[in-house]
Amino acid sequence: MSETDTIAAIATPPGRGGVGIIRVSGSKCKNIAMKMLGKCPIPRKAEYLPFLNETREVIDEGIALYFNNPFSFTGEDVLELQAHGGPVILDMLLQCCIKHGARIARPGEFSERAFLNDKLDLAQAEAIADIIDASSEQAARAAIRSLQGEFSSRVNSLLTELTELRMYVEAAIDFPEEEIDFLSDKNIYIKLDKIESEFSNLMQSTRQGTLLREGITVVIAGRPNAGKSSLLNALAGKDSAIVTEVAGTTRDVLREYIHIDGMPMHIIDTAGLRETKDKVEIIGVKRAWDEIEKADCILLIVDDQQGISPEDKKILEQFPKGIKTTIVRNKCDLTKNKPGMIEGDIPEITLSAKINIGVDVLRKYLESVVGFQAGGEGEFIARRRHLDALERVGQHITMAREQLEEAKAGELAAEELRAAQNDLAEITGEFTSDDLLGKIFSSFCIGK
Amino acid sequence: MKYQQDFDVIVIGGGHAGTEAALASARMGANTLLLTHNIETLGQMSCNPAIGGIGKGHLVKEVDAMGGLMAHAADLGGIQFRTLNASKGPAVRATRAQADRILYKHAVREVIENTENLSLFQQAVDDLIIENDCVVGVVTQMGLKFSARSVVLTVGTFLGGLIHIGLSNYQGGRAGDPPSNALSQRLRDLPFRVDRLKTGTPPRIDGRTIDYSVLEEQPGDTPLPVFSYIGKAEEHPRQIPCYITHTNEQTHEIIRGGMDRSPMYSGVIEGVGPRYCPSIEDKIVRFADKNAHQIFVEPEGLTTHEVYPNGISTSLPFDVQYELVRSMKGFENAHITRPGYAIEYDYFDPRDLKPSLETNYVHGLFFAGQINGTTGYEEAAAQGLVAGTNACQFSREQEPWCPKRDEAYIGVLIDDLITRGTIEPYRMFTSRAEYRLLLREDNADLRLTETGRKLGLVDDNRWRLFEQKREAIENEMQRLKTTTLAPEKISPEEFTAVLGKPLTRAAKLDELLSRPEVSYEKLMSLPGAGKMARDPKVKEQVEIQVKYSGYIDRQLDEIAKHRRHEETIIPESLDYKDVRGLSLEATEKLGQTRPNTIGQAGRIPGMTPAAVSLLLVHIKKSRKKLSA
Repeated sequence: MSETDTIAAIATPPGRGGVGIIRVSGSKCKNIAMKMLGKCPIPRKAEYLPFLNETREVIDEGIALYFNNPFSFTGEDVLELQAHGGPVILDMLLQCCIKHGARIARPGEFSERAFLNDKLDLAQAEAIADIIDASSEQAARAAIRSLQGEFSSRVNSLLTELTELRMYVEAAIDFPEEEIDFLSDKNIYIKLDKIESEFSNLMQSTRQGTLLREGITVVIAGRPNAGKSSLLNALAGKDSAIVTEVAGTTRDVLREYIHIDGMPMHIIDTAGLRETKDKVEIIGVKRAWDEIEKADCILLIVDDQQGISPEDKKILEQFPKGIKTTIVRNKCDLTKNKPGMIEGDIPEITLSAKINIGVDVLRKYLESVVGFQAGGEGEFIARRRHLDALERVGQHITMAREQLEEAKAGELAAEELRAAQNDLAEITGEFTSDDLLGKIFSSFCIGK
Repeated sequence: MKYQQDFDVIVIGGGHAGTEAALASARMGANTLLLTHNIETLGQMSCNPAIGGIGKGHLVKEVDAMGGLMAHAADLGGIQFRTLNASKGPAVRATRAQADRILYKHAVREVIENTENLSLFQQAVDDLIIENDCVVGVVTQMGLKFSARSVVLTVGTFLGGLIHIGLSNYQGGRAGDPPSNALSQRLRDLPFRVDRLKTGTPPRIDGRTIDYSVLEEQPGDTPLPVFSYIGKAEEHPRQIPCYITHTNEQTHEIIRGGMDRSPMYSGVIEGVGPRYCPSIEDKIVRFADKNAHQIFVEPEGLTTHEVYPNGISTSLPFDVQYELVRSMKGFENAHITRPGYAIEYDYFDPRDLKPSLETNYVHGLFFAGQINGTTGYEEAAAQGLVAGTNACQFSREQEPWCPKRDEAYIGVLIDDLITRGTIEPYRMFTSRAEYRLLLREDNADLRLTETGRKLGLVDDNRWRLFEQKREAIENEMQRLKTTTLAPEKISPEEFTAVLGKPLTRAAKLDELLSRPEVSYEKLMSLPGAGKMARDPKVKEQVEIQVKYSGYIDRQLDEIAKHRRHEETIIPESLDYKDVRGLSLEATEKLGQTRPNTIGQAGRIPGMTPAAVSLLLVHIKKSRKKLSA
């Protein structure tokens, strides 16, 4: 069985492991090897080679393995690049594979191909169904997390503009007798300009990393002076937040971007949650609650000297359901309680941010909460998928303009815009030709 | 009584689907019977007097490429021909002809009566004879039984037809004809899903009462377009123009005043009408800010004064129709010859069909045309061709012909219908085709005629002409790929005149032709470019193939990627509840459509790639278990 499209994925669990593996399967493997390694390795012989990007600069060096079909795990040609671990390098390698014609594999797709090509036996079939099922659910969740906030609204406004333009272009093609010949109108360029500027804004912000959230958001919340800012500093390993003994020192939201074992995390320190008359502090408390609403994980900091007070319990009750919440008992240096963790529905971790004991337990715990060690489809890949789709959208938009301006070929511009919308649909969800026709009929009075 | 002779294929209905179906089956050599309630109305254009248009013209050319009738009849009946989208690139160009109803019908009748293996019988059909889930014959109104190996049902709007004019309504198939109620009742007893649709027509006008001098004239194109690949412009009858008028504020006022007696807005009509062909009352309500609507004044023929004012389809009461017609420019004294009406009719959910158009529940029974929820002569003809072909194949126990989405608009049409179903009368648009750049009017013969020949649908004459054309195109393409122009042989001025700039290095002809500003004829004018192809169709084809080549390759790539899924058949017996991991929603959707292939399953709205993967794994697993 031949499969013409080639898939690629990072095969090792996300995180800063010692070795990271990129696996590629499909007919383009040989070609990708030639481009990235300068040669195709001898089948089933490990070779130590430099890994090159498109401009032939060395990204990394490592072991390359090539398996020709059908003598591989998937039954197709397979290329394996064993690089140094770390998300940045692996992402660069994955991008290179995509540039050379591979696409990011769907969850469970390697196993699926292996099974379809008779490389796995029947007993394993059930497992594969489960892998596909579970990992695609996980991927869907990760995609939703990646597509949040401003990124989502920018993508959606791009979608709206693109749909509108296509509506005009397609209406002009399918209903030439309706006096709406948009293709010969200069309005089309205005719309195209708008799409291009929407697009470049979007790409600029994603490149700056301000829109696409990478990693999860951990919000540190709690009553004033429980030591939230100290914990932020302890996790970040530097003094981001001003720490004093005066309750209410932190009045606004502070953010810190940290890596735990290579996995990105946004730690957000918030104002202490209390009733207050101070105007600035009121705003701070409101913002704190806003952040809590959006969090992936909440750390409720309590002062170990007082234990979990009725006020803490009240705060706990107000947390949104479904967000993983953990109680952190801080200041164990004063209570002399043993640092460590007690499992439960709401786990409790005892530590001292000030003298940095027990913080490691919290770090390990955070890593596990996110499920990163599960090796499934994390946000990292979700984000790569989104960026990959956006890049293709951009190429089609550029081509659409060329077709319009240079070739005056409306039907080819229409084809590019259709392709752009298909790629965008990978982020925003299915958009069918019937959806488009619906838009046309509700916007123009069509029909004799 | 039982009719003495047995048939291979019986086609019920003599409209555009029925005639193409009967002709296809007969061309293939099957002993075919066409049953119609009225032989006089064979090939009747019951709605607007035009064939083709964007997307529809594509279908007509495809039917023609398979040896079908519609393009030929349009060539013989067409009184105004135009190529739409002429300025927009070959993929979206389409032919449209206004037709003389009588000449058109005449052309249809002539071909039908002169086709071997095809018999006609005039009698309405009341019942189907079904044995063991397999159709074996039909019973006519007078109790006459005909037996056949397969049956094609093309009964259009005749099933449970209900005609509305204002708040009064009566049963009818189309104004002047009776509905098929007994058959409708019989079909409702079978497990098909049935629903109601609605369509409408405008009032017809006596042309002698129209003041043409104040209307905008719309002449046909010169040179005259031709529909059939083997047709000639000389076959066309005398050509006459169309005209355009507009509704105005006064018209809209009159319509608004009659709205309380509109069957659509008072809730009398339940069926869903098409979004793209709204009645004039619909247009006024939905686009209230538009103060004029274009109305095309289309002649009904050379020997009649009757005129079809396309754009004011309505079911308002007659007194309102009278007023609104007379409010339009040039129509101040217009006399209505037939009132406009809306018609509601039964259609069968096309998701109960296979890609061959055979029904899922009754073997050997095929549905084609409006019964499947489509609208338009062209859509009907296309289905008729497929159903007739496959009814013949079925009678011979041979594989059906199921064109794919990347092969033909016919494939897009059928796949859309059987995969997504439809909730409004389905009409073809080019935007429905993802491979629009491949599915062009100019290459329908190159896409399909060979298949048609293999099936026995294409006669010797068409095949010979086709082979000549194809060979000439291939030779010329080859020549363009291998002929090189060198800069030193030709003066820079000559190059600049053709290319817009001097040639800097030697280049192949096809490479030069691929530049947007270079035309084939201009390129051939350069010394050393060699002899130009003579046949204009060859010139056109070569130019298009070269200019589109990048996009054609891209679409071919895309098709290749999907091929495996398109070719993986889902067993008919598969119970989706057994597919591990499949969500409830996906299970339900798959059960409703019962797709034939994995590719089709993936096109069901809301299906995820993961669901498709699970299905693939399940099918593979079942196969392995079988072979183990």
